[in-house]
Amino acid sequence: MEVKEPKKGIPLVGIIAGMISVASHLFKKPLTVQYPEQKPYEPERFRFRISLKLDDCVGCTLCEQVCPNGSIKMEKLERENPRNKRMLYPDVNFGTCTVCRNCEEICPTTAIYLTHEFETSRTRNSFLYSPVELTMDEKEVKK
Amino acid sequence: MHGVLRLKAKLDGEVIKELEPVIGYLHRNAEKLCEMGFYCDNLIYFDRMDYVGAMNMEVGYLEAAEKILGVPPPERAKWIRVIMAELSRLAAHLVWAGAYGLDLGMLTPFFYCFGEREKILTIFTEACGSRQETNYMSIGGVYQDFNEKIIEEIKDFLKTFPKRMEIIYNIYVKNDVFLSRTKGIGVLSRDLAIAYGVTGPMLRASGVEYDVRKAEPYLVYDKVNFDIPISHKGDNLARFLVRFEEMRQSLKIIKQALDKLPEGPYFNPKAKKSMMIRMRGDGEYYARTESSKGEFGVYIVGDGGVKPYRVRVRSPTFKNLSILPVLSKDVMLADMIAISGSIDLVFGEIDR
Amino acid sequence: MSILQWIYSVLSFLGHDVGYALAYIIESIILLIFVSISLIVMVYLFRKYMARVQQRIGPNRVGKFGLLQLIADALKLAGKEVIFPKERDDLPYKVAPFVVFFGLVLAFAFLPYGNLSIFGDLTITYSDVSIIFIFAILSIMPIGEVLAGIGSHNKYALMGALRSVAKDVSFEVPMMISVLAIVMMASARTATSLNLESIVTTEILPYGILEPIGLFVFFIAMIARASYAPFDMGESDSELVSGYSTEYTGLRFGLFYMGLFGTIFLGSLLVSLLYLGGFNGPISSQVGFIWLLVKGIVLVLISFTVWLSMPRIRIDKLVNVGWKYLLPISFINLVLAGVLTLGLGW
Repeated sequence: MEVKEPKKGIPLVGIIAGMISVASHLFKKPLTVQYPEQKPYEPERFRFRISLKLDDCVGCTLCEQVCPNGSIKMEKLERENPRNKRMLYPDVNFGTCTVCRNCEEICPTTAIYLTHEFETSRTRNSFLYSPVELTMDEKEVKK
Repeated sequence: MHGVLRLKAKLDGEVIKELEPVIGYLHRNAEKLCEMGFYCDNLIYFDRMDYVGAMNMEVGYLEAAEKILGVPPPERAKWIRVIMAELSRLAAHLVWAGAYGLDLGMLTPFFYCFGEREKILTIFTEACGSRQETNYMSIGGVYQDFNEKIIEEIKDFLKTFPKRMEIIYNIYVKNDVFLSRTKGIGVLSRDLAIAYGVTGPMLRASGVEYDVRKAEPYLVYDKVNFDIPISHKGDNLARFLVRFEEMRQSLKIIKQALDKLPEGPYFNPKAKKSMMIRMRGDGEYYARTESSKGEFGVYIVGDGGVKPYRVRVRSPTFKNLSILPVLSKDVMLADMIAISGSIDLVFGEIDR
Repeated sequence: MSILQWIYSVLSFLGHDVGYALAYIIESIILLIFVSISLIVMVYLFRKYMARVQQRIGPNRVGKFGLLQLIADALKLAGKEVIFPKERDDLPYKVAPFVVFFGLVLAFAFLPYGNLSIFGDLTITYSDVSIIFIFAILSIMPIGEVLAGIGSHNKYALMGALRSVAKDVSFEVPMMISVLAIVMMASARTATSLNLESIVTTEILPYGILEPIGLFVFFIAMIARASYAPFDMGESDSELVSGYSTEYTGLRFGLFYMGLFGTIFLGSLLVSLLYLGGFNGPISSQVGFIWLLVKGIVLVLISFTVWLSMPRIRIDKLVNVGWKYLLPISFINLVLAGVLTLGLGW
């Protein structure tokens, strides 16, 4: 299929038509959102932060293996849990996490999962979340 | 201009005598990294190649990887992939259309293009949870199934988008100054295009009717009805028109795919989640797909292990960029910018 | 009664000489304040207009509706470290922004502003050859750009300067010829036909209606002089980094920026004075200044729309437009003006 070249019109008419169509956007609603005051539309499946259920985690280290950046490292945590005899729990470095959601997909007990929260700004050296911090809300972690 | 390109030019006044593109500033070693990850992990490196239209890259990788692992996707996943690939082709062409205006000094259409692109990214978020580096497809299917809301949103988008696209199109092509910057500038002849291995919209604008989707259909492209836009002019304007016509054809494909979307499982049970890091691949396979920039080829060698032995990517933009020094010989500086803009450079893919 | 007399009447206790000297100084300060306020308003208007046209919101954080944004920006520019390129040509490099900016401010002094109820005539200075003076000052500004381009010792700056000179030279001639047509028509009615004020006061119809071609040529030439899209040859930001202002930082860069917006404002005022009747309006002449401002702002908005919706012309085609299209039609305009003046006695 041959594409059609635009027809040759009278000079300047096209320019003025373009100017009018640009100027007619003046009274349209802006597309941008004033972020901290107004929240943007958040789709249901939007995911960012990794969370953990300590009781469900069996310490299988699958999430550590599948993480492409090595953001997840297993850590020893003294805790009473009959299903997790090795007492290994993941901790996450959010500085390198790319939110590929592989860990959520591979977890056999859905202990590790991703949540809606995305306002996780921290200082540079505190991106490392311990297993206990992963179970908490973002607000509690910041305290 | 899109990305980090350095151009060394020898000038005679305003006329370019010699031009040498210097690339490699965005090199991230993706091919080597792919050898170190499981088959399922490597998808994220492909997301970051053509980051403006990530789904097309995922389709290209999975075409090869699924053949090696022997887990073909079910029918529904194929249709979903077609919809997503075409949506991200739209997103990539919208970025190009806006950035081309900026290259020529036009400030406003850029924002209209990104406003429309935002709607596509919202659909992506609705489907898979992230905007740009989606990682939506997985080996043997897709990550999450479509639900009613996503289909509804795509239908809304299909209704509003054509009107907005025509507005953007008219702001460009009705402008005499824009025509004077594009018409007859940077003419790429048919023979030269074939000799340099140029593919995609650039090749089609030079008069070669070649599209991998038609020539060697992958997924379900043989079951949908669409045309290949071509032009025999080979100049900047032809490339512009071919890309806009491609966007119209993409809309057509999405419309058909939504109608034909079958019910059924969305992933192959052989590739269920506990198998993710245990799938072993043997043999070698080369898959080629039509990304928004041209023919995107992925060559994978498996040695029977859980990780690929070698992954090699044929990047369309790299081949297309090689034509720039030839085209911009003895043209004016401003034309060189217009030509390099019309190639549609995305450096994540060139440097990998 | 003009504003000068008004100030003098306050200061008359100082005697004639000292009083008038002080009145002139105060008048110049008022002019400077007027120009800087109008520039700030211009930049604010531009940013808001651009944002709304592009479906954004624009500055809205500093002050109510972002009104103080420009002052904050100016403070930021003033507080920046001044970096001089190592191999610069010292004097031209340092002088260039001031040549551009103060040339612009000088041009504002010779515009007739019309009346504003109690203040009377707002015009700063009277001159019988004010048109020649204004265009002489306007042709100083390209010299500033050339000085900046050569003094920076930078390839982008040099190319930007050369481009902007090519642009200015090719648009100067059609602009002057279209002004000549107006002077010709005005000379039938007034003895001081080079005086901008008497041109405006003695007109029967706005000259834009009699000479639409002249209006078109002059408006395009003013766009080229202010150098924004489609004629932003001096900057060409996708090709030449930032053109002649590449090597400038801090306040000197700010002066170039102000020069650009000032020229847009000056151009709009000139177009409205020469072609659209200036301070003459349908309702009483007591608010002539308001009429001038309204016409000026409408023209400014039109210029912004042109800026935002046009790509850049290639330099050789731009020179073609200047010499091959605008010059002939400005000659046609001149002949038509002659016919109107001598043949029909308009």
